[in-house]
Amino acid sequence: MKKKIGLSALLIVMSLLSSCGGGNQTSTSGDDLESLGYQYLDTSAPIVATKNTVSYRILSSKNALAENYNDMLIFKNLYDSTNVNVNWDNISESAYAARKNLIMSDKANYPDAIYHAGFSDKEIIQYSTKKVILPIDKYLDNMPNFKAILERRPDIRRILESPDGHIYSLPRVEEMGLLAYPNLLFLNKVWVKDLINSGDIDFLTEEDLKDGLSLSLTDFEKILTLFKTKDMNKNGRNDEIPLSFVFQNWQGNQSDLYAAFGVPENTDHRTIINEKVVFTAVDDKFKEATNYYANWVTKGLIDKEVFSQSQDAFLAKGKASDQRLGSFYWWESETVVKNPEDYICLDPLIGLNGEQYVGVANNPEISKGNFVIFSKTKNPEILLTYIDRFYDPVISAQINYGPIGIVYEEELDDKGMLVQKPIPEGLTADEFRLKNAPLGLIYLSYNEWETVVHMEPRAKLRIERLDQFVKPYVYPGAKPIPPVSYTLAEINKLATIELNLYDYVNQNLTNWLLQGGVSDSAWNNYKAQLNNIGLNEALSIYQAAYDRYKAD
Amino acid sequence: MAFRKNKQKTALRDTKGDKIFYIVNAFIMILLAIIVIYPMYFILIASISDPDAIFNGEVYLLPVNITFKGYERLFSDRLFWIGYRNTIIYVVVGTTLNILMTIPTGWALSRKELPGRKYIMWFFIITLFFGGGLIPFYLLVSKLGMVDSPLALIIPSALSVWNAFMTKAYYESNIPQELLEAAEIDGANEFKTFLSIIIPISKPIIAVMILFYAVGHWNSYFNALIFISSEEYYPLQLVLKDILIATEVIGGPAGDAATIIEQNKIANQIKYSSIIVSSLPIILLYPVIQKFFNKGILVGSFK
Amino acid sequence: MEQGLIEYNPKKKKNRFLRHYQLFLLIVPALIFVFIFNYLPMYGIVIAFQDFSPVDDILSPNANWIGFANFTRFFNDYRFATLFKNTFLLCIYGFLVGFPLPIIVALLLNSLKSKKMSERLQTIFYAPHFISLVVLVGMLYLFFGEYGLVNNLLTYLNLNKYSFFLEPDAFRPLYILSSNWQDFGWSSIIYLAALSGVDPQLHEAAIMDGASRLKRILHIDLPAIFPTISVLLILSIGNLMSVGYEKVILMQTTANSSVSEIIATYVYKIGFVGSGEYGYATAIGLFNSVINVVLLIIANILARKFSNNSLW
Repeated sequence: MKKKIGLSALLIVMSLLSSCGGGNQTSTSGDDLESLGYQYLDTSAPIVATKNTVSYRILSSKNALAENYNDMLIFKNLYDSTNVNVNWDNISESAYAARKNLIMSDKANYPDAIYHAGFSDKEIIQYSTKKVILPIDKYLDNMPNFKAILERRPDIRRILESPDGHIYSLPRVEEMGLLAYPNLLFLNKVWVKDLINSGDIDFLTEEDLKDGLSLSLTDFEKILTLFKTKDMNKNGRNDEIPLSFVFQNWQGNQSDLYAAFGVPENTDHRTIINEKVVFTAVDDKFKEATNYYANWVTKGLIDKEVFSQSQDAFLAKGKASDQRLGSFYWWESETVVKNPEDYICLDPLIGLNGEQYVGVANNPEISKGNFVIFSKTKNPEILLTYIDRFYDPVISAQINYGPIGIVYEEELDDKGMLVQKPIPEGLTADEFRLKNAPLGLIYLSYNEWETVVHMEPRAKLRIERLDQFVKPYVYPGAKPIPPVSYTLAEINKLATIELNLYDYVNQNLTNWLLQGGVSDSAWNNYKAQLNNIGLNEALSIYQAAYDRYKAD
Repeated sequence: MAFRKNKQKTALRDTKGDKIFYIVNAFIMILLAIIVIYPMYFILIASISDPDAIFNGEVYLLPVNITFKGYERLFSDRLFWIGYRNTIIYVVVGTTLNILMTIPTGWALSRKELPGRKYIMWFFIITLFFGGGLIPFYLLVSKLGMVDSPLALIIPSALSVWNAFMTKAYYESNIPQELLEAAEIDGANEFKTFLSIIIPISKPIIAVMILFYAVGHWNSYFNALIFISSEEYYPLQLVLKDILIATEVIGGPAGDAATIIEQNKIANQIKYSSIIVSSLPIILLYPVIQKFFNKGILVGSFK
Repeated sequence: MEQGLIEYNPKKKKNRFLRHYQLFLLIVPALIFVFIFNYLPMYGIVIAFQDFSPVDDILSPNANWIGFANFTRFFNDYRFATLFKNTFLLCIYGFLVGFPLPIIVALLLNSLKSKKMSERLQTIFYAPHFISLVVLVGMLYLFFGEYGLVNNLLTYLNLNKYSFFLEPDAFRPLYILSSNWQDFGWSSIIYLAALSGVDPQLHEAAIMDGASRLKRILHIDLPAIFPTISVLLILSIGNLMSVGYEKVILMQTTANSSVSEIIATYVYKIGFVGSGEYGYATAIGLFNSVINVVLLIIANILARKFSNNSLW
């Protein structure tokens, strides 16, 4: 036993020493493509002539509900139609998050590619400059579907391109037009009706209480104050919550309250206005808004718990035996309250100077870094041709929702679109989907929702609401910041600034809102400190990257 | 036994001050026990209550809307039982190896005669403070061929230096020098002394170490998270983590509202019920271990 | 055997050597283990002096060596003083409460009149150790949140609510008390084990002399566990500046982050959440370790000066 350990210790030392010098990735030449019968032009024919000739190992995290990818029907079908064998190396999502860097450091054991890679800009640049991952654009001809997408959509190409002009990762595109507008404001109409009937409110009539009601901040404040002071749910306790949301959450957050003051706010505190990257949290109107809402917090109109509650706690509130929620910001009302029919969806609040705006969030619908292929992979063109099939619209739909035969009927409907089968008993819609669909690399643009696959009812409802109550009010010239590419120098610079910057802003913002507001001198100190931390440098980097993105 | 007798004898002679002391002491301890028990009891009732009622502050003394969905979800999972089995194996095998490593180490360190003792101590102490980080450690385990092998959960945690120091401290305070001198005069060598004299009177520290290591193995999940890919080797903690994630909502636009609400509720119940199912067996280990504490009294009789 | 008793002759010296040699053999497996699993990977420390990415060869001269840049960056960080202070205060308060508590509890448990009661209480005290951090913090929110048990009680009594998770003043007490609630029983086990080694004859003799139970705790029980206390004390002081990030992150809100941002959470955010700056994160960790070692050495010197029980 002891001897064995001693011996292996010696071996380790030796292997460590030997590994230090090496590390150069030599690209190994694979088999002769012609002899394999490789073809890529016909996107429905096999890619190689026979099965069992080529095989790849792809590492992928998988959702805890999903079947092992090797057993998934969609991948079995892909094997049958392409003859390319893929051994999926599945690990759980939490394991992948913990292991990503370890996997990258273990050069001797690289897989051929990583699916659901989740690579950041920094990772893509670092690994591409070290030539660990392959420039995919060199094989664009081998990827007819993807090539056609890039030709149709130069904006996607610009997002994918690294500063050196190459594409190192493949995207996921799911465009429904939902993510940029993550807040809807809901109001308890039953309570307001009671207030109208009791004569406490004279600026509204019962007929006004329907979706699309526009309220001024002062009127809204009156309503909230009445919610606070009256026993609206008639349980004898002062437990009403006039306004709730989750502070700085990706949806259902405080942003639109700021927009009423003419600040196109989002949780990043940065947005594009007329092609300029703007930092919202230094605007004097931002200060005004903060002071205004700090007063609401002090008066108990905004529930203090918005600053500490989890999503779970928020979602539970609306389901208490006595309804406590007067109004709230969220993605939708159906998951929040047990009686959604009692709530109406408001237009954005009208500010003190008559502004009626919403900001836009920077949540991207096109994400990069989802798939990378290693430089050492043999015959990368075959694997890329295989992966290219994922971008076929019908396959994309199956990757995203589940395969034909399980989730979708074999027959299309009269519009030529996929028809969803009934969900088997004992399974919920999410379980059914996640069990059978790997998700990941897809291309479902606005067009595909008209021609290939129907949106889910919940998404459709949201789009209807957004079209009526949100999109018409977007701040003039405001756009989300697209997922632009940064150079390594820019990334390194941003790394030294961003964490401190955003922590500083959010910490101050929270304190001001909780402690009654911000004085002018504190505001000026704050702005000075932001510049010390490097706000202007960060802004010029954002701007430069955005300008490059536009110029291409 | 000898201890009990003593207690009974002395009981008759308690002074008034002592009586007050015993009463006050018992009172404080019971108060402390209530403070400890209540939140534990809360977990128990929370595991069978409606999560919304918990968040809304309706559950404090009795469960509300009793439901066993959290437990049902756990027990119906194939991996749950595999995880249970695996964890028991890791605890038994791992702890055995730990004890074989730790007790001799602690004993040797406690002896001033150990050659190079000071340097050896430093050799160990440094590791308490400095490490190479995760990447070199992973590469080492990978080179040893233990990635996705159960060995990765046993070999790299074969010794805790901290526990070895605890053992050392125990021996330093509990083994009388006279005992060793007697052994030396008897002509016993170190191995013999260790095996036939020290081990038999080490029951309390061995028991404590078994407890410390077993609990460590029972609770550990990080090494499994980074080294184990095959579900067949998952320990219980990792299985529970996965089950919990599986039931948590994916915040995307898909799915219907009722599903999301329902899954959210089960996820919250699993949080509590998984504590009950995963900690009950290891809590029951303590009363067993405790029995060995009393055996240490033997040491005194050697004097 | 009998011969051994009489024979104290030249052989004895050689015998001694042989004995100690065997003592060394007992520790050899541990030395090898520590060498392999602690010392072989230790080369990773040099990452602190690099701008590192996971695909780099750590020891290669071609790695991106940047000297002490990571350290100077940390010292020049506008938050350096705050992080340091927050870490120190959280740890020192935690230590002042958390170190004596298990000792007191062990001594009191040991001097309970009923042995059975003591055993049952021990099992109860030990149980909270198994609650996961996520659930522990979840329970803290349920009990101390805006609508938690405590605030409901305050409202009921017509008192003002107190936002435990938004007031910076509440963070440290909440963190430290909940940690102690969870672990005081667990930490007292080692002392209980040591107390079980106390010779009952000592107590009997003391009773004969008319010593009260309280006196016997101070003069018999406490000295008996003193070596254990001092080893743990030295190690704890050596660990004074290390505290895990998990629970702090879970309890952190932007409102209390002025006291809840500590070195460990900052390292976590820098190294693993955001842009993955391992070099910087490793450098901060190394800095923290050096402080701990200095504290350990001071503690050991003091322990040697004031008692016989030092770590080395």
